[in-house]
Amino acid sequence: MNIRPIILTLILAAWCAVHASAQETEADERPLRPVFAAYTLEAGSGHLADTYLTPLKYTGWHGALDYTRYQAMRFNPDDWTMRLHGNLSVERTDNPAGNATMWSAMLSLDWGMMRRFRPLPDLTLAVGGSTGIQGGCLYNDRNGNNPASAKGAWTVNLTGYAAYRLNLWRLPVTLMYQPTLPVTGIFFAPDYGELYYEIYLGNRQGLVHGAWWGNYFRLDNLVTADLHLGSTSLRIGYSGNIFSSKVNHTVTHIYTHSLVIGISGEWLSYDPRRHRRQSAEPRIVSPIY
Amino acid sequence: MRQLLLTAITAIIPVLALTSCHDIEEYTNDPQGNFEALWTILDEHYCFFEQKDIDWGAVHSKYSAKISDRMTRDELFVVCADMLAELRDGHVNLSAPFNTSYYRAWWSDYPQNFSKRLIEDSYFNYNYRQSSGLMYGFLDNNIGYIYYESFSAGIGEGNLDYALNFLASATGLVIDIRDNSGGSLTNVETLVARFIDRPTLVGYISHKTGPGHNDFSEPYATVYKPAEEGRIRWAKPVVVLTNRSTFSAANNFASIMKLLPGVKIVGATTGGGSGVPYSSELPNGWSVRFSACSMLDAEGVSTEGGVTPSEGCAVDLNPLDALNGKDTILEKAIQILTGN
Repeated sequence: MNIRPIILTLILAAWCAVHASAQETEADERPLRPVFAAYTLEAGSGHLADTYLTPLKYTGWHGALDYTRYQAMRFNPDDWTMRLHGNLSVERTDNPAGNATMWSAMLSLDWGMMRRFRPLPDLTLAVGGSTGIQGGCLYNDRNGNNPASAKGAWTVNLTGYAAYRLNLWRLPVTLMYQPTLPVTGIFFAPDYGELYYEIYLGNRQGLVHGAWWGNYFRLDNLVTADLHLGSTSLRIGYSGNIFSSKVNHTVTHIYTHSLVIGISGEWLSYDPRRHRRQSAEPRIVSPIY
Repeated sequence: MRQLLLTAITAIIPVLALTSCHDIEEYTNDPQGNFEALWTILDEHYCFFEQKDIDWGAVHSKYSAKISDRMTRDELFVVCADMLAELRDGHVNLSAPFNTSYYRAWWSDYPQNFSKRLIEDSYFNYNYRQSSGLMYGFLDNNIGYIYYESFSAGIGEGNLDYALNFLASATGLVIDIRDNSGGSLTNVETLVARFIDRPTLVGYISHKTGPGHNDFSEPYATVYKPAEEGRIRWAKPVVVLTNRSTFSAANNFASIMKLLPGVKIVGATTGGGSGVPYSSELPNGWSVRFSACSMLDAEGVSTEGGVTPSEGCAVDLNPLDALNGKDTILEKAIQILTGN
């Protein structure tokens, strides 16, 4: 698997984005760029299947901790924003007969930047790319020599969001929809009947695969409402994640649906010495809008 | 903006179409569905169809005719177990809450050739050392003896150091793995590492690369390293005792030791079991275990049929000898090691 073209493409794309936007930015303007952060819990249903472990589909519960952080980019804060996102999820599921349990634990981290558009005064749309890693494993407690199916991926994603501000009676609310769709990348998968013992012995051939939608599809959807109760907001919403892969005749599904609850808010790191040197009152650029 | 939305929608439709290729075939939870699920799991994953010349399609025809929607779960179990017995494989089991199927003919059709009580009584008078999964001591004529009952019993490096150090003055060593039905391959590696002095090719692994009966990977060489410096390694002659109930990981150990210099296999052909078993399950919750990955010896030969004794070392336990307190197979080993 030659990943050099993918890396070169990414570097070139990032350079173009930075270079083009930097020309539009006034060099002496240093607006304040507050951070938007959300800490949430997810609870809902999980659906697992992995034909390396079993041909059956398991269902059960899903829980996750999620962290999202937005901040306007330094080079062109009005038009570009960046997002850092981390998620730790756990699923515990049972087979249809209810006599076997399959667990899944996944950790994902991604970073991306997005170009913002404001087609309406209260509506912001953002489109961009992100890159991230995901790793974890599915574990079936009834299997002997094939109890686990390890997952690992580095992906390049299409991502974005739509944010809409409105007032519910007198309560300011922000509605957001944030999808993330991996487009390409690389991911780990053993061969059809390959033992992890064989990998331990040193056979590392054919473990890394190029990802495309035909063999690796993931779509993360997050719909939230931030209820601005004060300096901190209550975040409620829905998270729906679809992961489906098929490689080496092995199919894996991880589907989750969950309710989201947590807190969110904007935090500002203000250095009075630095900003005093500026002639005008510092301008604040929202990380979202 | 409208253009952007249209583009997004037209992009998503083929994506959804692509993921529909990731379907998993589902079976109904009734006798027919469970039977078909079992047959298909084996059809796509079992690794010895060609080697054993099994016509799995014909097996389907033979047993599917016995499936009926009105049959009880016990009747279904019997039909499924009989179908699995066609594989003639001790690593194949069907497990239900009320029964587990075994193919027993791989050992029941052969003499047992071993009595642990005979060894304990006649050769040690119940005075032997026991450490971890190892039973060891000195036989007459200054021969060291180790009995390892199961490769499921972990062996610590320290345990091995103590045992081999204790037996260091022996002129030869007997490793008895009769009735050892296998266990962990890492314990095989730990033990073999004491009998090699350089990285040694010990065999090959070939896994399935797809659902076809002949979809196999190129055999991958397995190389074991000798025990690390400071550990006790055994360089004197060794005899490994085997019987038909030497199976799976123990069979693998015998296949490795047989090809090492200074080692002889004495006793009867082992039970085989060179396929590493995988697990799967049926819609009704029954689990199935089957050979999914073939292990070959260092000469690239499958040992699924068993490891034969070294030349001139095939011997059965004579019941008359046993009555007189003699283990014919162990006596043969002592004879080889003492040169008498």
